[in-house]
Amino acid sequence: MQLKQLFKMVLINIYTNKIRTFLTTLGVIVGTATIFLVVAIGKGGEAQVNQQYSRLNVGTIMVMPAMRGKVISPLSKSDAELFQESPYISVAFPILSGRGDISYNSISCTGSFSAIEPEFQEVNHFTLKEGSFLSAEDESNQNKYVILGAEIAETLKDGDPSVNLIGETITVSSRRFKVIGILDLLGDSGPGLSYDESVFVPYTVGQKYLLGSKANPTIVAQAADIESVQNAIADITSILDENHRIGGAEQFRVRDAGSRLAAAQESARTMSLLLLAVAIVVLIVSGIGIMNVMFVSVKERTKEIGTLKAIGAKKKEILTQFLSEAVVISLVGGIIGVIIGGATLPILSYFSLPALPSLSGVLLGLLFSAITGIFFGFYPALKAASLNPIEALRYE
Amino acid sequence: MKCIIEAKNLIKLYQSGSEELRALDNVSLQVRENDYLAILGPSGSGKSTLMNILGCLDIPTSGEYFLDEENILESSEDKLAELRNKKIGFVFQKFNLLPRLTALQNVMLPLLYRGMDEKQAEQRATEKLDILGLKNRLSHRPNELSGGQQQRVAIARAIIGNPPLILADEPTGNLDSKSSLDVINIFAELNTQGNTIVVITHDVEVAEKMEKVVYIKDGRLSKTS
Ligand SMILES: Nc1ncnc2c1ncn2[C@@H]1O[C@H](COP(=O)(O)OP(=O)(O)OP(=O)(O)O)[C@@H](O)[C@H]1O
Ligand SMILES: [Mg+2]
Repeated sequence: MQLKQLFKMVLINIYTNKIRTFLTTLGVIVGTATIFLVVAIGKGGEAQVNQQYSRLNVGTIMVMPAMRGKVISPLSKSDAELFQESPYISVAFPILSGRGDISYNSISCTGSFSAIEPEFQEVNHFTLKEGSFLSAEDESNQNKYVILGAEIAETLKDGDPSVNLIGETITVSSRRFKVIGILDLLGDSGPGLSYDESVFVPYTVGQKYLLGSKANPTIVAQAADIESVQNAIADITSILDENHRIGGAEQFRVRDAGSRLAAAQESARTMSLLLLAVAIVVLIVSGIGIMNVMFVSVKERTKEIGTLKAIGAKKKEILTQFLSEAVVISLVGGIIGVIIGGATLPILSYFSLPALPSLSGVLLGLLFSAITGIFFGFYPALKAASLNPIEALRYE
Repeated sequence: MKCIIEAKNLIKLYQSGSEELRALDNVSLQVRENDYLAILGPSGSGKSTLMNILGCLDIPTSGEYFLDEENILESSEDKLAELRNKKIGFVFQKFNLLPRLTALQNVMLPLLYRGMDEKQAEQRATEKLDILGLKNRLSHRPNELSGGQQQRVAIARAIIGNPPLILADEPTGNLDSKSSLDVINIFAELNTQGNTIVVITHDVEVAEKMEKVVYIKDGRLSKTS
């Protein structure tokens, strides 16, 4: 029999059992929709991680107080100076961060502030919308200057674009600072804090007026190049051991951006794999459902199969017919599943779950639904094809 | 004249528990081209067993069987399927039409299994149904047809591929007397056109209408009852 006609028979048989077919496909629909969404969430998560870390140089190494335990001898500017002597480190500087009220005239908001050195701009690839960045003189002269993140600046302007903040005085935690620059909108949020919602002041000034000398700084070190990262970390660790005899390097965490990026991507991937496993379990369960229905169908049509054999159907043709039936049922479920998955995406984005639809998600979903049909349809189809024609004809 | 069926010393044994049952006992039968033969016998005599073997649906325990000069006992499963498709037109007691296909599609099936394309098969099936007076029933499904009409569709399906042998097992068993007569008349007509027909029945009245009758009892064939 030509495939076209065989396929027509398959469709006729499926069509006459619409409701049963639909019920059978429910599991496949759920499974395929899940696979489609898993791929979308995976891709969305990956894109989000990449975007979050896009400003972060992979050569950046952070040295910060360990999560647990007390810091007996905190990091200081002199540590940064020592790090910088390592041949593997191009630049190192301390940062202090905190949160507080930021106000201009009657407008007030809460934001984060960072006490930084001028190199910070370069390492983070900051660009300015207005004014200029903090300079080495600002640091050494201990100028009470401030740079505003884009969103903080918008908030302080209170929706009036004609307001010029450059040269104006604002207060940060009740201390007065002069605005000398406003950053371009970065648009993305770094892990933890958004620079768009931060203000930046010279290091020593910040330490003196905002955070106090007991504050624990973080040191940002930039490796000379990517290959130097491991050596730079080794140097940092030995310097810390040398310089902080009480407590040693264990008081601190040394993290490089490259491995942080890798870890974030890894956890996004783990999440996707977990969801994929769930989807596959759903498909297996739905596959067993298909197998069940196909067995019932073969049983019901035993006499028909006998008749088909009597008028000349070969074993292979019966097998193909029943297998195609299972595959068509599961593919129909797959197509509906992908459509439902696509329709669910807006709901995910409403809950601000990052999800990106993709062709590979569609194809993977359909592929898995087809595999489900083939795998679980094969045994019932083989059973149909192997029926003894006489017994099949005699079956009532 | 050419032999369509040439069966020699067919034996069919069934093993039921420890007992051996001889469903066919040394059956020899010759059917020539254009024969119109009834095989008559009571229930349990072995009619269906014989029909299954003659119809290439089953293999005898021993003996020889040539169908239209093909040696059945040496044929593979796929070859048997092909022989059933090309050499035999089956007519069953319960019509055995596919319930989800229309009359036309049912009649087309044997041609489709030969690989013929749809257009051609459809044309030939339409002609056959027209001849059998079912011109207005082409797109009816079996459950929308009377028993007599269903059996006529089944006959159309049996003859569509011009097989050398038409094999009918109790073709009137599920029909009223009027429809039975119709079916017998169709067979007679087909026979005058040159078809070879073997009808298996337990009904003496039906058998009497055929050209020749052989009797079967306890798995043995004889020319007289
Ligand atoms: N598969 C089988 N296994 C065991 N015995 C069988 C089998 N098929 C048929 N028989 C036996 O073989 C004998 C002949 O059976 P068969 O079906 O050929 O009779 P029949 O002439 O067609 O009867 P009926 O007119 O009632 O259909 C019976 O005694 C039956 O019990
Ligand atoms: Mg019988």
